[in-house]
Amino acid sequence: MAKGPDPMRSPDDWQALSQQYWNAWADATRKAFGSAADATTSDKTPWHEGLEQWSRMFDARSAGDTQSEVAERLLAGARSYFALLQSLAEKGADGKADPQAWAERLRESFNFPGADAALLDNPLARALRELAGHGAKGFEQMMEGMQPTMAEARALLDLPAFGYAREHQGHYQRMAKAWLDYQHETNHYNALIARASRRAFEVFEDKLAERGEPGRQIDTVRGLYDLWVDAAEDAYAEIALSDEFREVYGALVNAQMRVRQNVQREVERVATDLGMPTRTEIDSMGKRLHALHRDAKNQAETLPELVAEVAALRAEVERLKAGGVKFSSKPARKSATRKPARKSRK
Amino acid sequence: MEPIRIDPKRALDDAMRAQQKLAASFRTLRKVEDVDYGATEKEAIYHEDKVVVYRYKGKAKPTAKAPILICYALVNRPYMVDLQDDRSLVKNLLALGEDVYIIDWGYPDGGDRWLTLDDYINGYIRRSVAAVAKHAGVEKINLLGICQGGAFSLCFASLHQDKLQNLITMVTPVDFHTKDNMLSHWTRDMDVDLFVDTLGNVPADLMNWCYLTLKPVRLNQQKYIAMLDILDDKAELENFLRMEKWIFDSPDQAGEAFREFIRDFYQGNKLVKGGLEIGGKPISLKNITIPVLNIFAEQDHLVPPSASRPLGDHIGTKDYTQLAFKGGHIGIYVSGRAQREVPPAIHEWLAKRTR
Repeated sequence: MAKGPDPMRSPDDWQALSQQYWNAWADATRKAFGSAADATTSDKTPWHEGLEQWSRMFDARSAGDTQSEVAERLLAGARSYFALLQSLAEKGADGKADPQAWAERLRESFNFPGADAALLDNPLARALRELAGHGAKGFEQMMEGMQPTMAEARALLDLPAFGYAREHQGHYQRMAKAWLDYQHETNHYNALIARASRRAFEVFEDKLAERGEPGRQIDTVRGLYDLWVDAAEDAYAEIALSDEFREVYGALVNAQMRVRQNVQREVERVATDLGMPTRTEIDSMGKRLHALHRDAKNQAETLPELVAEVAALRAEVERLKAGGVKFSSKPARKSATRKPARKSRK
Repeated sequence: MEPIRIDPKRALDDAMRAQQKLAASFRTLRKVEDVDYGATEKEAIYHEDKVVVYRYKGKAKPTAKAPILICYALVNRPYMVDLQDDRSLVKNLLALGEDVYIIDWGYPDGGDRWLTLDDYINGYIRRSVAAVAKHAGVEKINLLGICQGGAFSLCFASLHQDKLQNLITMVTPVDFHTKDNMLSHWTRDMDVDLFVDTLGNVPADLMNWCYLTLKPVRLNQQKYIAMLDILDDKAELENFLRMEKWIFDSPDQAGEAFREFIRDFYQGNKLVKGGLEIGGKPISLKNITIPVLNIFAEQDHLVPPSASRPLGDHIGTKDYTQLAFKGGHIGIYVSGRAQREVPPAIHEWLAKRTR
């Protein structure tokens, strides 16, 4: 495709070729997405702006549909890949670096301009952050929303509770403690993910070293990226299957549930004050209703058996009648001696 | 020798090609309609609460002597077994002469919060089995349990095997405490009572988030990078979107049933350790003496083969067959290999055993 500079001859030629391609990329972005890309395209990360433009097209025209969802997910994954592509294209021309140097280049590629500084050198945390699970997202948003309440509650944490509002204060204290516990467990979890990320680069180096054998060399960027993914997943699995992770994960889930439960109690308290039904009440009714529903089903199932049994008995009676057996119209008295006994009491 | 020999020109060409695909995708994605799923016509033969039992309609009359009832997991929608015309376990079974029914659990809501495993196994499954037997005009049917539905089917067979001719389990966890079972590992220190008491029904998004974190880079990044290759191919993109829809079209989990499943299966491992009771009735795999076919996937990251294989050690039957499929938890239904290998294996195994 490219003509002109020969990257195999000199670094200058390589730089020229690289620039030529990224210019072509930027041009293609402008052509594909219109003039809006002109003003913002960065020379440092032309791929990044291309992806952003691409994403905006879906946001603007098809918010909320399946394609938009897919575009969002693709964007999240593609950022890391294109950063790797550019990093290797700019620095990897000689192909003579050792595994450690390649791992370093890979690490640099994840810290692309605009990337969240909190996720520096931590690609696994980035992958987890990019998961668009609304269940988790919703909770994070709720936590953010709670910050002011928690700040207030934290101030009350060490004060003794007394008087009319004693119970409320006690509740806020428990809520604040639960929130602090959750922060504590989140830090433990994040530390393990950061450890998995560090381990991923080590595993990557090992895997790369194995590729030095003839016939196993990596000759495409995608191949390199796939090797990185294998390394990242192996490192993550190593940590995720450890006893330490199991304990931290369990503690994190439990801590999050305690926070949710405390928030629910607070919401219920307010709802009760306003005369609104609460989830506890609905659960209570639901439980009773379910028990009734189950009994009704069980009885409905036994009904046909009872009907059949009664029909069989009736048929038998008819047969016996037809055979000349006489039946009394009144059932036989079981306790014929009772009446006299009552009389004698009088 | 250097481990990497990437031709810089090729690297940049690849980058440009990816960019072109990205640009083309804007046109392709606009053309893609909301994806449809389900290749085979079906009719409802039984309703109860949100549960519906369907019978699939094949092109020809079934030749099999007893019908198959598919019991899917609660955690995903059952249309995975009939995703599209060229990826359908159901269609291939019908073509071989089988008579196929399926339980659709529906989408539980607040009204289903208190459903227990007893309700599912001794209630819905038992009545669904009876409905299929009545509809097909037979006394006993074949039960095919998938994943969690396989664990349910084992429990059902332990209690009611007089209603079954044969049992087939697919990608079914039996031993939940094997070392490579990440999902089970994560649940062990979880306070499931606190979890369910807090959440009520367990939201599907939370479940999906958990599944994605089993392999966060592969499932959240690499998969979408691979999608770059098909961005200019409408048909392939539709296949991809159909699969995406299935993955994320997940029902919430009824709280009580979730509590029991985590406590007794994931944490207690009672299916193999013993002590499991459903509705107050003891469950033992030793009770199962009907023929059993156990199919698992060798690259399954959700239910590792090590979790499925032990069934042979614990089941009571003398007629036990095991089949290892080269693929993953999803590939066992939708891959080209699955279409060629799985339905004929089931059909042939059943043909030798169904009276």
